[in-house]
Amino acid sequence: MSVFLSSPLMHNIFAGLAQGVIYSLVALSLVIIWQSTHVLNFAQGAMAMFASYIGMTEIDRGLNYWLCLVLSIAIGFLFGGLTERVLIRPLYGKPEINAIVVTVGFLGVIEAVAQAIWTSTTRNIATPLSQIYFHDQGRIVLLSPFVLFQFGLALAIMALVAVLFRFTNVGLKLRASALAPEVARLLGVRVNRMLTLGWMLSAGVGAVAAVIIASGSFGLYPSDMDGILIAGFIAAVVGGLDSPVGAVIGGLLIGLAEQFVLAYWSADLASLGGLIILVVALMIRPQGIFTTSVSRRV
Amino acid sequence: MIRVENLTVNYGAIRALDDVSVQSTPGRVTAILGANGAGKSTLLRTISGLVAPRSGRIFLGDQSILSTSTENIARLGVAHVPEGRGVIYELTVEENLRLGAFASKVDINEGLERQYVQFPVLGERRRKYCATLSGGERQMLAMARALISQPRVLLLDEPSLGLAPLVTSELMNLILELCHASDLTVLLVEQNAKSALRIAHDAVVLHLGTVVASGEADVIANDKNLRHYYLGLVQ
Amino acid sequence: MKWLSSIVRQEKTSARLLGVLSLTVITLAITFILPPVADSQLAGGAAIAIVILGLSWLIGWSGQISLGNSGFMAVGAYATGIWAAHHGSTPLIFTFFLATVVGAFSGLLIAIPSTRLRGPYLAGMTLAFSAAVSPIAQNYTSVTGGEGGLFFNTLNTPHWFLNFFTGPNATINANAQWTADLAVIVAGVSFFFMANLFHSHTGRAMRLVRDNDVAAELVGINLPRTRTLAFVVAAAFAGLGGSLYVLINATVTPSTFPLTLSITLLTLMVLGGIGTLSGAVIGGIIYAFSTNLISHLNSLTGINPTSNLGANMQGIIFGFLLIVTMLFAPHGIAGLGPRIRNRVRALRQVASASTGE
Repeated sequence: MSVFLSSPLMHNIFAGLAQGVIYSLVALSLVIIWQSTHVLNFAQGAMAMFASYIGMTEIDRGLNYWLCLVLSIAIGFLFGGLTERVLIRPLYGKPEINAIVVTVGFLGVIEAVAQAIWTSTTRNIATPLSQIYFHDQGRIVLLSPFVLFQFGLALAIMALVAVLFRFTNVGLKLRASALAPEVARLLGVRVNRMLTLGWMLSAGVGAVAAVIIASGSFGLYPSDMDGILIAGFIAAVVGGLDSPVGAVIGGLLIGLAEQFVLAYWSADLASLGGLIILVVALMIRPQGIFTTSVSRRV
Repeated sequence: MIRVENLTVNYGAIRALDDVSVQSTPGRVTAILGANGAGKSTLLRTISGLVAPRSGRIFLGDQSILSTSTENIARLGVAHVPEGRGVIYELTVEENLRLGAFASKVDINEGLERQYVQFPVLGERRRKYCATLSGGERQMLAMARALISQPRVLLLDEPSLGLAPLVTSELMNLILELCHASDLTVLLVEQNAKSALRIAHDAVVLHLGTVVASGEADVIANDKNLRHYYLGLVQ
Repeated sequence: MKWLSSIVRQEKTSARLLGVLSLTVITLAITFILPPVADSQLAGGAAIAIVILGLSWLIGWSGQISLGNSGFMAVGAYATGIWAAHHGSTPLIFTFFLATVVGAFSGLLIAIPSTRLRGPYLAGMTLAFSAAVSPIAQNYTSVTGGEGGLFFNTLNTPHWFLNFFTGPNATINANAQWTADLAVIVAGVSFFFMANLFHSHTGRAMRLVRDNDVAAELVGINLPRTRTLAFVVAAAFAGLGGSLYVLINATVTPSTFPLTLSITLLTLMVLGGIGTLSGAVIGGIIYAFSTNLISHLNSLTGINPTSNLGANMQGIIFGFLLIVTMLFAPHGIAGLGPRIRNRVRALRQVASASTGE
């Protein structure tokens, strides 16, 4: 068994999945925001990075890792809510392109400010869970306690999000606020609050992704999230923008694709793995693989 | 229950409503009639707070709701079924109904059961996505969703639109029944003047944003001039 | 700026030609007055103006949002670099033509999967594509020079031009001047082309597709083809602009066209005015002198340009400007004219109404 698990194929699979989990989390945050506001937040990655950076400055002062994670999520909530209130609220009813452009501008500002405050060097934080790969009789399995934690965390968040949207009253209100805000208002739903909530949740989940990246061996630097956002976006589109499960599977898929491109084609071209999957997926099933909702004119 | 005084509403340069006053009472159906573009929908949308008037006053009972937000007006017990019914296709029947229950402190499950008893068809199709419903079923859903929160006021915007005459007739009977049973205040906007006047107690006729007639429904129904010019009724 | 757009909005092609021609000549004259450093900046501004024009066409006229035009610029730039590395003495016109064609072709490639998409899906798609350019450039080292990029010399300032310049830095000054003049002429040609496109049947069809695609189909317009055409044109312009852009420094690397450039393009386009010729001109001018403006700003506020804050000022300011412009003045500077006119007109109406009553 351990021979199989430590084979090159499994190495690649585990590595791809570990990276894919990060994309899944970003994709999840995009799904949350899409399902609750029908806006795609291009600044998502940058906001996550910023929130995690603030959380991580506390680690330097000796704060416990778990508390730092919680702090980052909390800052994410705050950041997300504020952004919705100040930047996005004025844009409801205006053409879609306005919101896209504003979030893109926001992306630029956040990254530039982050670089101004913290420079563009990579940040890396130590984790309480070991990142040493399991080994048995000299053979390495490319999993570690931390990686297992990553998987568990992503699955847990996915489950929470899915349950939230499908089975709770709040989730119903969130969906209705995005699908038909005027009708929702007529039914007494506090649509504005729902929109803010959607942004808060989305940013919180994004912050988790950023902290995990920073905990990994490559660390996190301010413009790192650009590529990760793109991969997360592709994962969300492939999985279907209204499906948390799809987002997670999409993320894992992209991670695997990138890893296999890296292993069997060229390291430089790794990021194209996601693009290939995107093009294929869009040609086969443009509305997303796991969408259950009635297809809208994309 | 709902009182509108001297309401004036502009859509840009167009005067949609000009000095309109309407009064309605609990337990009575007030029909709002007139041709297309007369301002009927605008009246309901302004009452619900979706449109801001240029001048005038709106009262729910003794309380002014002029500057109250749409969602709060709904929470005060004003249920508005908009033009086109506003059924959310991407949700199931039951999800649409549950959405309607948030406006009040009604127990959701009790509310659902009550509506399923009133509208058995909805009960059968509770897990279906609304895109699969027929026009009549959608109207039922919209009504049930409005009623589930046990409102005091019901604003209906062209409920008969797209429905067969037989279905319309049943629908109107249902509205009258509900009105009496729960002492509802009903404002019924209709282009189909005939079916509306059949069940209405009072009527208001709008033309190009102004009130050209108001009073008892029978009186209005029998006024030859009104019938000819404003209501599209023959003879 | 109003007269600029009114000249170019003339119905007759000849009037448009005259308008663009006179503007080009005036700008050329300006290049002779400016110092060489400013000339280089102007050249950069002209290159960017061309790219903005294409982007404006795509977003403003066909309603399709693209975040990846820096990728098209890179394609054009690399095409220029790769060609020049082996055929340095080819006339520049050919190089520009090549860059334009290659750009157009890459636009076609992107358009095929993309034209079915709308809004954020499309934006993300274009982003994903433009993010692919850098890895490809880094991988195929033999062709693209990998991380280090390509150096080439294809400027070939003609002798008769060089003779105008004397003094210690004659060649450098001459090159800067020549680049600027070339850039202005190419920009002039591009603007003329686009002005004609605005007025053509294609332009009208494009706007109809943007505003009401159901109606467009009913009138017999082929939706995918029209949308694809928008992409192809925008990419062609971007490729050309990219080629000009790298001409100045005679080098292209994978990091010459980062994502932030796409954001900058968007900002300049929105600031100038989406979908307008004057908007693209304004955008180009702002770009040309942005480094000056920003260092002025730094000195005014006492920020050290080498500090973290100073180095990132451009990013902060451009992002901030984009947000603010989009929130408060979505039609940009070029749109201010009509807005002010409308405001004045409305005020006049109120005044006459109150006196009339």
